[in-house]
Amino acid sequence: MNLKTDQPSPLPADNQPGQESSPSERPSIYGRHNLPLSISRDELTISIDQSGDTWFYQRECAGDRNEKKLLTPSDTVLINPVEPLNKPKEITSFLMVEFERNLMIEPGVKRKVFVTFPIEIGVFMPSKKGLEVIDIFTLQKQKFTLYGDPRTGVICKYWTSGIHSAEPQTDPLRQGVLRLTVSNAGDHWVELTRAVFNAYGMKLFYSDDMVSMKATMKILGRHMAETDFTNSPLKKDMTNSIELYTARKLAVTVPKFIMELGL
Amino acid sequence: MNFNKVIYGDVTTLDLLAVILIFLVAVILSKGFSIYLRRALKEKVSKDRLQIISKTVYYGILGVAVIASFPLLGINPSGLLVAGGIVGIIIGFASQSIVGNLISGVFLMMERPIKIGNSVRIGEYSGMVEDIRIISTSLRTWDGLYVRIPNEKVFTDSITNYVAHAARRFSYVVGIRYSDDADKAISIIKNLIEDQPLALTNPPPQIFVDSLGDNAVNIIVRTWAPAREWYTLRMELLWKIKKALELEGIEIAFPQRTVWFASEIHTKEIGDTQN
Repeated sequence: MNLKTDQPSPLPADNQPGQESSPSERPSIYGRHNLPLSISRDELTISIDQSGDTWFYQRECAGDRNEKKLLTPSDTVLINPVEPLNKPKEITSFLMVEFERNLMIEPGVKRKVFVTFPIEIGVFMPSKKGLEVIDIFTLQKQKFTLYGDPRTGVICKYWTSGIHSAEPQTDPLRQGVLRLTVSNAGDHWVELTRAVFNAYGMKLFYSDDMVSMKATMKILGRHMAETDFTNSPLKKDMTNSIELYTARKLAVTVPKFIMELGL
Repeated sequence: MNFNKVIYGDVTTLDLLAVILIFLVAVILSKGFSIYLRRALKEKVSKDRLQIISKTVYYGILGVAVIASFPLLGINPSGLLVAGGIVGIIIGFASQSIVGNLISGVFLMMERPIKIGNSVRIGEYSGMVEDIRIISTSLRTWDGLYVRIPNEKVFTDSITNYVAHAARRFSYVVGIRYSDDADKAISIIKNLIEDQPLALTNPPPQIFVDSLGDNAVNIIVRTWAPAREWYTLRMELLWKIKKALELEGIEIAFPQRTVWFASEIHTKEIGDTQN
């Protein structure tokens, strides 16, 4: 897929060719890197080495291996979190976050809570026509679920999360932080067990220690809510990710999701 | 060459050349535009919708070219409507099956029980829908064969669309020995399904002792999977269950019979007999 972007370069090159940091002072893997590249984390190794006129890309992530040769004059690569809906197969554009404990909200109340979401990481190569994704991987276990019944429901990527009142500490290679603003516009108390989001609206931001998104959930009735994303970072110094779904979005694509099959 | 030579009525050679030119331009434009649309929307629109959009554009441009060429050919469009109606009735009577297929095709496109790319069974044929045309529907069978089915047959036959719903269920019967722990076997299978990304969390899988058979304790395993991916999971899961059970010392039972003899039977080992 070819992704055109008008966004500025996300980060300055943060590693030098062939340089590898010690585990105690390891910088984030996110951002723009010069080639050749060598990254090693607990269950993740990425290397891009020159072999003649080509680059040789190797990645191993929790037992999953990907190797390819890259024919490009480019000598940089961009690594950033992408919408967590591509692995093991891209079969849905919806993400369901199921809450570990139910959340009850009074009518007329608006509150901010924090939940986590799974991380998938994209490796992009710049080209004359934009950015090309060359690999996507994840360190997280993958699971799918059905929202609704088999006839009218939709398949969703599945994730469970606790509900936090402040930003939880997370490993940015595995989990992101989603700030969810829940508002109950109805006349009744509502009990929430989950939130379903549409990938076409996701806006991911990253820094060295966190990957984040901001979303809203407007409760429209006892069994209906609308979810949407906000295009702003959780903290000031965060960088906007290159998203995959946003680039595919048509003018008619609706980024919001109406949860009408139960909360 | 005299371009003003009258061929019939007011139609001259120049008019005919203009009509040919219009058609040529229309064909080039419609093909080019439909190819451009296919490329531009390939990753943004589903395959069946893309086919409909590109076909609509293709035939739309050709239709406009046909209408635009009527005055050049000395045809009055309003008169054509009446003539077309009469001709339509005549053609309808003369070729009932074609008209039947055509009408069925229109209803199929309206009702949309199948879409391009769906895995379906139509009558005796199973496969993937390759194209839905106005007269016929084509399938690619699982063996890779091309099958063209007239729309009238598609419309009147029973249609099973394997991917019409988001999810579907499949099941296995796993027979274990009576001497094995069925609770342990159920727990192993549950954990195994939990580790499969394509096995849906909801609706939850069902694993229970279904029957006490002649030769085995039969455990039924029912799992839901995304309708488009169920076969991938079905192919992988059963062998994984067998291997996981055997790793824990639980074996798949095979038919056996215990025979009781009324009187005592004297047996000798084969080795003794040979000696």
